Amino acid sequence: MQDVWQVVVQSFPQLLSRGLLMTIPLTVISFAIALVIAVVVALVQFAKVPVLRQICRFYIWVIRGTPLLVQLYVIFFGLPSIGVNIDAFPAAVVVFSINEGAYAAETLRGALESVPAGQLEAGRCVGMSYVQIMWHVILPQTFRTAFPALGNELIDMVKNTSLAANITVTEMFFQAQRIAGRTYQTMALYLEVAVIYLIFSTVLSLLQRLGEKKLSAYGRQ
Amino acid sequence: MALLDLKNIRKKFDSTEVLKGVSFDVEKGEVVSILGPSGSGKTTLLRCINFLERADSGTMEFDGTSYDLGTISKKDMLAIQKKTGFVFQDYNLFRNKNVLDNVTLGLTSARKIPKDKAEKKAMDMLSRVGMADYAKQYPSQLSGGQQQRVAIARALATDPEIIYFDEPTSALDPQLTGEVLSVMRKLASDGMTMLVVTHEMSFAREVSSKVIFMDGGVVAESGSPEDIFTHPKKDRTREFLRLEEKTK
Repeated sequence: MQDVWQVVVQSFPQLLSRGLLMTIPLTVISFAIALVIAVVVALVQFAKVPVLRQICRFYIWVIRGTPLLVQLYVIFFGLPSIGVNIDAFPAAVVVFSINEGAYAAETLRGALESVPAGQLEAGRCVGMSYVQIMWHVILPQTFRTAFPALGNELIDMVKNTSLAANITVTEMFFQAQRIAGRTYQTMALYLEVAVIYLIFSTVLSLLQRLGEKKLSAYGRQ
Repeated sequence: MALLDLKNIRKKFDSTEVLKGVSFDVEKGEVVSILGPSGSGKTTLLRCINFLERADSGTMEFDGTSYDLGTISKKDMLAIQKKTGFVFQDYNLFRNKNVLDNVTLGLTSARKIPKDKAEKKAMDMLSRVGMADYAKQYPSQLSGGQQQRVAIARALATDPEIIYFDEPTSALDPQLTGEVLSVMRKLASDGMTMLVVTHEMSFAREVSSKVIFMDGGVVAESGSPEDIFTHPKKDRTREFLRLEEKTK
């Protein structure tokens, strides 16, 4: 058994680099795609588009009603059995995007519905089209309202990416498991990786607070 | 020919008939005040003729073209909304835009007017309502009266044929009411066509060219301010005016 501190010090750059090269990109890419999905799904429901609206409800129902880990297994281990092979990283991106998309869609729908009806009416009264009002008036207010909740979801996602280790994505937790297995310093390694997740989350929380301050430029409502 | 001619406008909410066939017209340059007790359909009428609500039936002649309000197309609605202004009781300024952007947005987005031109126009309008110094402020930083003046500037900026006012001072205290009414008086004297739902009797009396008294979803009585205030013909009108007088 190697000396604990030696293991911790040696493994730190390896873990951090996995975090910066895999965990963060996986989170950022997935969250960006999730936001696009969420905006579309939330708008479809808000505008009460027939048929599409039911499809969106079904999507949210299925995704929110099943575990993230099971979703990862279905895409990565399940699909190959019916002849669809996806590499680990893209499979993780697909699952995290679709999963977070469902949650963020509900967050955005709530925020959309909290914008007073008068904002839409005022837009129509100056001759703006529905799309113009959405773009210039409703969506900016929606994002402002949803920002704190979306920030929390992003932080959740950073931590949830550790589940991708189960489908062989070589992200930070995967690396920690590997080193722990080699050195037998399980306690030290798992605490160490926990600290790095904590650092990531803290930085994101700070960014979230900064963003909220910037968004509050137009004052209380 | 009248700028706006309404004939037999009807509107039901579920089984409640709110408008039971409203007809009147507004000439260009006229200021028409609509009075009446709560629930008489005044606000619903304004909302129907600017398509914030869909009327069930009725015809509306606007700027030389006749429209069936029961079947009017979205395209026609948008075209009419571009030629009208609307001032709400609770202002409804865009909360995410500063004062200047509130006024320019209808120009830059809906009418594709270049930003610099739109801003010049907006500043002119803000000066007209005495709000030019507040161009960079957000609505939440303004008093109700100031917000309402910005809302009037926003309506003016689009060069509307007519501006609809839906109880523009009902949410304001007497002092703020005064500053908004004085802006409206100025507009009236500049020849702006205005259709005003109001409880401000002195404004209706002194500024209007025509007063409409609505009751129970119909026009109960209409005429010059002199006719309505000094020689009301209907008992209902007399009673309404007496009650309004008493609460002043």
